[in-house]
Amino acid sequence: MTPTETCFHCALPVPANCKLTVDIEDEQRPVCCPGCKAVAELIRDTGMSRYYDLRDAPDPGVGRPPEDAAEWRVFDSAEMLEAFTQRDGDMCEATIYVGGMYCSACSWLIETTLGRQPGVSAAEVNPITHRLRLRFPGKDAHLSRHLATLAALGYQPQPMSPESTTRPEVAEQRTALKRLLVASLGMMQVMMFAVGLYAMDFQGIDADMQHFLRLVSFFVTTPVVFYAARPFFTSAWRGVVGRKPGMDLPVSIAVGSAYVASIYATFAKGEAVWFDSVTMFVFFLTLGRFLEMRARHRSIDRSAALSSLLPNTATRIDGDTHSVVPVSQLAAGNRVLIRAGEAIPADGILESGTSSVDEALLTGEARPQPKAAGDELSAGSINLDGMLEMTVTKTGGDTTLGTISRLSERARYARPAFVTLADRIASYIVIALLVVATAVATFWYFTDPGRAFVITLSVLVVTCPCALALATPAAFAAAGSRLSQLRLLVTNGNAIETLSRATLAMFDKTGTLTVGAPRIAAVFVVDNAFTERDCRIMAAALEHASTHPLARAFALQDPLPSVRSPNIVIGQGISGVIDGREWRIGNGEFVGGGAMADDSIATHVFLGVDGNVVAWFELEDELRPDARKTLDALRQLGLDLALVSGDNRVAVESVARTLGIDDAHHECTPEDKLAIIEAAQQAGERVVMIGDGINDAPVLAGADTSVAPAHGALLAQTSADVIMLGESLAPLTTAIEMSRKTMRIVRQNLAWAIVYNALALPLAAAGFVPPWLAAIGMSASSLVVVLNALRLNRFE
Amino acid sequence: MSILYVLIPLALLLLGAAVWAFFWAVGSGQFDDLDTPAVRVIMDDDSKPDEEDTP
Repeated sequence: MTPTETCFHCALPVPANCKLTVDIEDEQRPVCCPGCKAVAELIRDTGMSRYYDLRDAPDPGVGRPPEDAAEWRVFDSAEMLEAFTQRDGDMCEATIYVGGMYCSACSWLIETTLGRQPGVSAAEVNPITHRLRLRFPGKDAHLSRHLATLAALGYQPQPMSPESTTRPEVAEQRTALKRLLVASLGMMQVMMFAVGLYAMDFQGIDADMQHFLRLVSFFVTTPVVFYAARPFFTSAWRGVVGRKPGMDLPVSIAVGSAYVASIYATFAKGEAVWFDSVTMFVFFLTLGRFLEMRARHRSIDRSAALSSLLPNTATRIDGDTHSVVPVSQLAAGNRVLIRAGEAIPADGILESGTSSVDEALLTGEARPQPKAAGDELSAGSINLDGMLEMTVTKTGGDTTLGTISRLSERARYARPAFVTLADRIASYIVIALLVVATAVATFWYFTDPGRAFVITLSVLVVTCPCALALATPAAFAAAGSRLSQLRLLVTNGNAIETLSRATLAMFDKTGTLTVGAPRIAAVFVVDNAFTERDCRIMAAALEHASTHPLARAFALQDPLPSVRSPNIVIGQGISGVIDGREWRIGNGEFVGGGAMADDSIATHVFLGVDGNVVAWFELEDELRPDARKTLDALRQLGLDLALVSGDNRVAVESVARTLGIDDAHHECTPEDKLAIIEAAQQAGERVVMIGDGINDAPVLAGADTSVAPAHGALLAQTSADVIMLGESLAPLTTAIEMSRKTMRIVRQNLAWAIVYNALALPLAAAGFVPPWLAAIGMSASSLVVVLNALRLNRFE
Repeated sequence: MSILYVLIPLALLLLGAAVWAFFWAVGSGQFDDLDTPAVRVIMDDDSKPDEEDTP
């Protein structure tokens, strides 16, 4: 593995397991994904000559063999089109989740390729949510063709039902946009009339014209108050009913009373109107809410990513006939057939067949699990070698996978404890504010009744605790969105605060500090007729046929001898004929050496020929390439490091020595790990636990903050506060630096809000602040807070 | 000045038309994706110019 290899096309690092190359100018160039490969080839082909253009080159996917396209053909049936597309006159619109997209070249490729298909009027990819919006003619619609094209390009397309596409975020954003527009246009218009009114105040005014301008202002302000500002009124009312007045209450009182008083002044031909203040106040509030909402929405849609782990179709057995149906049509009690290499479409009980199943997704366990009739199978795990028949017990959201994805979804929407605290404090502030406003109103009513209303209005507007209430959530939302761009998902809002105060980072070993995939550590040659190199080549040739995770350890770049009649014996090993002799690789018994004492330190794999053991391999887990650098960076940040592992002393100590960790614990049960964490917490440390295994779930929950890599067990991720996407450990340092910066910004914001309110309140109460200035002051203070928070978006 | 009695209602009519057009655009999904259009301009630069020639 050469981690420095970058994609020839887009310069992103090439994933370790990616073997794609493209032949440009007689040289094999590495590329990172099928999209880049295809784009690079397209460029090369067009660059060489226009011959292919003139020949009317077939689009990728059109030449795909029909038997492969059959998988998608079910999506052409009327009921499938009904379920997965929305009709709009003659056109159909489908939303397709495209799995396997990595970079912007992918969206370019998808848009260009699909856009050239006959009849397709729109193909738009959102590279952030990985969703493709496709419009094509409804008459003899061939959804299957587009899906097959996507599949031929190397992606995993997944049509989404309309319910899952009309997500609540979209509806919320649409309404918010409309409200923002009404408020902004209304504000601009009313401002223009207000300029007229003020100018006329100085130059003397025609009473009819003044009345007319006031009427028009009233006319324009009305939709601003009743449409754009409606969320404030409803939220204020909810607060009153629930006896938890929020900051929307003074806002509503200010907007409502100024509006009513202005109407009265308009029709009673009074002194002044405040329509301009009303609209400006509503506009800035709406703008603040809109920015906050956008930041909140910008987290990657994990549920779609999870559901893409399920296959699109399943082979259902109805009596004697096999039919390919979409997974969404499976029901409990159905029997399904799962071929080798396919993902299991639903939870169920294995009826017949034996196989080993890769459950790494759910449990983090890299070794395949043997399954026999009567065993339970989980949706999303992969059938590695045998042909299975399964009775479905649970489908869709009821499966273990569905439950996990729901749990992680819920965790995302949970509000952090101290934001809730800030809200509670805000409600006390609101009550205090209303008391102050009443006192100010009473005072001025007896001193100068003519100014009482205007001053009270200014006090209400200027002291609106918006900035105070926005200070924390705005910073958190901005930090969350930036972190997700930096490949870190924050699932628990408290995590940012606890991370910023972490003093001790505790690591699990396997799969966290190490790659979790084995590597050949040593080769012991028993038969002197062969060199170590011969043994490695023979092993690589045999293992080439296998999908077993251990097989990857043997892969070699060299040319391999061909293996005749390879045979995979489940749970035993592989046999095959090379140069006329029968070679075997696998456990001792299978190879012919009899069972050998296999201690648990490392995995041993035996290689034999004609029933005699030739060599054995010791497989060991490899350290992550950037583990050392990351740990050094953490030390620089002032964190202590510790290692807790269930592994034996030798393995743990060797890793601890390599990485320079003094505090290493070996052979820990999850209870031991938890005890170690609690002891550290007793000693005043704030612990970040980084672990990936299913056994780590309680340990992760016990730490102050928990971090899990995304390739680990899903169950570990549901109890983790932060999930690191990608293979690297480096995001960990980013997370800690980012959390510290976020807390700094939160403190700045709170300080600013308090200073502003402390200055503005006395000035307004003394009558120095007219309502329009109050509206500007309050809005400006909120915008300062939001803009300060948005600085986090530029964090590197 | 009495021209204002005509011009202001006219402006309000135009305002109403603008709001209606925007509501329609939002409703038809044109504003659902506020992130991609900003990126899309850059996307073409990712690929070399000669591929623009492909029909």
